[in-house]
Amino acid sequence: MSETGELMKQAEGDMVLSDEHEEQKGKYMTFKSGNEYFGLKIQHVNEIIQIQTITEVPETENYIKGLINLRGKVIPVIDVRLRFRQEPLEYNDRTCIIVVNVKSTMVGLIVEKIAEVVEIKEENILPPPSIGRTDRIERKYVYGIGKVGDSVKLLLDPDRLLNDDELSAADQQTADIIAE
Amino acid sequence: MAEGFNTEDMLDMYLFENGQLLEQLQETVLEQKDADCFDEDSINEIFRTMHTIKGSSGIMMFDDIMKVSHKLEDVFYYLRESHPENVPHLELVEHVLEVEDFISGEMEKIRNGDPVDGDSSELIARLDKFLNKIKHGAVKEGKELPPENVHVEPKQFYIAPVATSDSRFYRITIQFCQDTQMANVHAYKIVYALKEVAEDLLYSPEDIISDEESGEVILKEGFRILLQAQCGPDEVHNLIGEGYAIEKVDVLECTADEFISGFNFDEHETQIDLESSVEVIEARAQNAVEGTNEEAEKKDKTKIAPGDFVIKSKEPGKQKKLARDKPKGEKASFISVNVSKMDQLMELIGELVISEQVVLQSSDLKIPGLNLDNFNKAAAQLSKISTDLQNVIMSMRMVPLTNTFQKMNRIVFDVSRKLGKDIEFEMVGEQTEVDKNIIEHISDPLMHLVRNAVDHGIETNEERKESGKTGKGKVTLSARTEAGKVWICVEDNGKGLDREKILAKARKKGLLDGSRAESTYSDKEIYQFITLPGFSTNEQVTEYSGRGVGMDVVVQNIQAIGGMLDIDSTPGMGSIMSLKIPLTLAIIDGIVIETGKSSFVLETGVIKEFVRVKEDMMIHEPDGGEYVMIRGECFPVLRLGEWYGMAECEGTIEDGMMVIVEVEDKKVCLFVDKLVGKQEIVVKPIPSYIKKVKGLSGCTQLGDGSIALILDPGGLTG
Repeated sequence: MSETGELMKQAEGDMVLSDEHEEQKGKYMTFKSGNEYFGLKIQHVNEIIQIQTITEVPETENYIKGLINLRGKVIPVIDVRLRFRQEPLEYNDRTCIIVVNVKSTMVGLIVEKIAEVVEIKEENILPPPSIGRTDRIERKYVYGIGKVGDSVKLLLDPDRLLNDDELSAADQQTADIIAE
Repeated sequence: MAEGFNTEDMLDMYLFENGQLLEQLQETVLEQKDADCFDEDSINEIFRTMHTIKGSSGIMMFDDIMKVSHKLEDVFYYLRESHPENVPHLELVEHVLEVEDFISGEMEKIRNGDPVDGDSSELIARLDKFLNKIKHGAVKEGKELPPENVHVEPKQFYIAPVATSDSRFYRITIQFCQDTQMANVHAYKIVYALKEVAEDLLYSPEDIISDEESGEVILKEGFRILLQAQCGPDEVHNLIGEGYAIEKVDVLECTADEFISGFNFDEHETQIDLESSVEVIEARAQNAVEGTNEEAEKKDKTKIAPGDFVIKSKEPGKQKKLARDKPKGEKASFISVNVSKMDQLMELIGELVISEQVVLQSSDLKIPGLNLDNFNKAAAQLSKISTDLQNVIMSMRMVPLTNTFQKMNRIVFDVSRKLGKDIEFEMVGEQTEVDKNIIEHISDPLMHLVRNAVDHGIETNEERKESGKTGKGKVTLSARTEAGKVWICVEDNGKGLDREKILAKARKKGLLDGSRAESTYSDKEIYQFITLPGFSTNEQVTEYSGRGVGMDVVVQNIQAIGGMLDIDSTPGMGSIMSLKIPLTLAIIDGIVIETGKSSFVLETGVIKEFVRVKEDMMIHEPDGGEYVMIRGECFPVLRLGEWYGMAECEGTIEDGMMVIVEVEDKKVCLFVDKLVGKQEIVVKPIPSYIKKVKGLSGCTQLGDGSIALILDPGGLTG
């Protein structure tokens, strides 16, 4: 718990610090999901909150867990593990919600554990390997692999993570409903 | 003294005021469009409106608007002064509306920051032609023409709203002491004082507010005022006062024509005076003799050497009258507020209501053994105030439909004239109040419906005769409130919808369900086809309708605010299009229910009753359908938990609760786990990230801060 709290503080401190665009450049919020570490550009991250009561919304994709109340604002949350087709994990006090803001849509990402904020230089980011395993689902939203010391972080494109085909499918459905 | 005029503010004011004037003008004109001519009051009103618009447009330098309004003012000046007969009334109405359209169009351009480039010359030419026409009509009948309206614009700086025959006209010259500082400020003080009684007021030099050099002109040439008022010269004198700076005051009474001819009058006094006096004799026979005599007297007095202190004695027989019957304060009880501020206030009150619930339902209060008497008292008081607060803000947002309906009146008038149909328009219940946001959304759909009614609904005059219909075509627009909803109906007594035609078209477009016999479609179902995109049975596309893009947009717009369109029609007798829309979108009364682990909210209005039923009241169909018999009535049962595929919801009928919901005559029994309570809820949209779920219309925050989903009964029963 204290570890998480500290990380959150660090992350938030970084975010405050990084109000200037220059400061934000090359900084990534990393979190653990399954065995891998993922990174999100810090510009996209609004805040990190503890897991809280989620209101389920019926008839949605399984990874959309529902809605939370963020100080009067209603925002949807998705479970990153389920989104990555990983085995679901029971939520515990390490589970956090990363609130991201992508193209003015606020969405909460439920992650099993947040790690740290790291700086990854441009030259340390490689494009994802293009040979083989192209069918893997992560391919769509991992746009690069960042090297930090010995470890690697899979860098996520939050726009694809959230929207991609899902939203267009939803749009299609709405359009259908209207057409009916 | 030079006030820093903010042109943007002035422009806003200009647009706002003139917009209102035009709206009022249109209302007046349409009210009397079926009469033979305008009555005295409306002629005066239109004249005044045009006068005001002309003045303010002159100041704002919108020349075309000024010219057009000036021309129309001339027309009405003529109407007012000479009461010509045989004025083609409808033509006049059209001209007024044309002018109104032109000015509104220009104002829209101003509002959008576009260049104001409308060309008024054609319109002015037409008005000229019209004016000549009615004048010649008058000449033929042997009447004399009244003097031309020769106002020179823009000279008016202040125009008071009333001008009656009791008015008296004054020419006032004020000399200030030569050592007076800032004479223009003193002059302004006098102008300000005179505004109290003035019906019309002109002064020279004009620019005493911002031009400081005008002070010197005033010192040199004196400050000249033309005043139209109902009070006597004594009162004028009193109002001007005898301040230390004023050396001498001349108050001269003059005639209306002298007044109109303005300040230039002085130079060739005698000549023009005689002429205008003659004209006055002709135009106003009743005042003639007395008028000339007085005029002559006055002229004598004006010839008195400058410097003499001249005060006209009060004329006997004329009572002093205040210019305005209405006290000034009445108008000030309205203020206009920016809508975004209202929305913000609304939102804040919504938040306040929620936090109030959070406090009052706090889990800290549930600790046993607490003495909460005082808390409860205070809480009750708080609830009362917050409810009042909500009611007030809601009522602030409620606007009568009158304006929207007036617009429709105009559309019926225009379209029916162009199509050559003789159509009567009736409005019922236009005072019905609806949330402002909603009004904005229904204006366009309503316009479509009204156009359709006039264009398609009502037959041409010949067709009506053929089908043996007597009387005019009639379009009725009505509004009423019923069960928390507003019904707006557009009704016509035309030919009605043609079932066969629609059916044929639907067949052609492949819209029919192949598995159903055509005869099994109910009339209403068939009429609903016309709301589909690209559906128009009218063979001929007219300027107004028939492209088939209308009805589907109407339905979309109405659905966007949670409304419905209902179509009913009797062949040969006409059709009724009914819009059912919610009164408000913001705060609603709801009942919180629970199923599984989720909370839902149902709008109180749709709930008929709660019942606990026993298993033996249930009827099970072999294919899984369930019904329940309650007091001899059979309701379909919808298990909310199963409908949404939720785990852990109540299965046994006895342990749960039935909620009977009625939507548009359809009744459904919702089976839920339990009732939680009643709550006022603030409707929030479900974030667009989550795709639309059938039967859910939004979400809200509950007292404990958690989120509940709002059920849309229409989606459940439909």
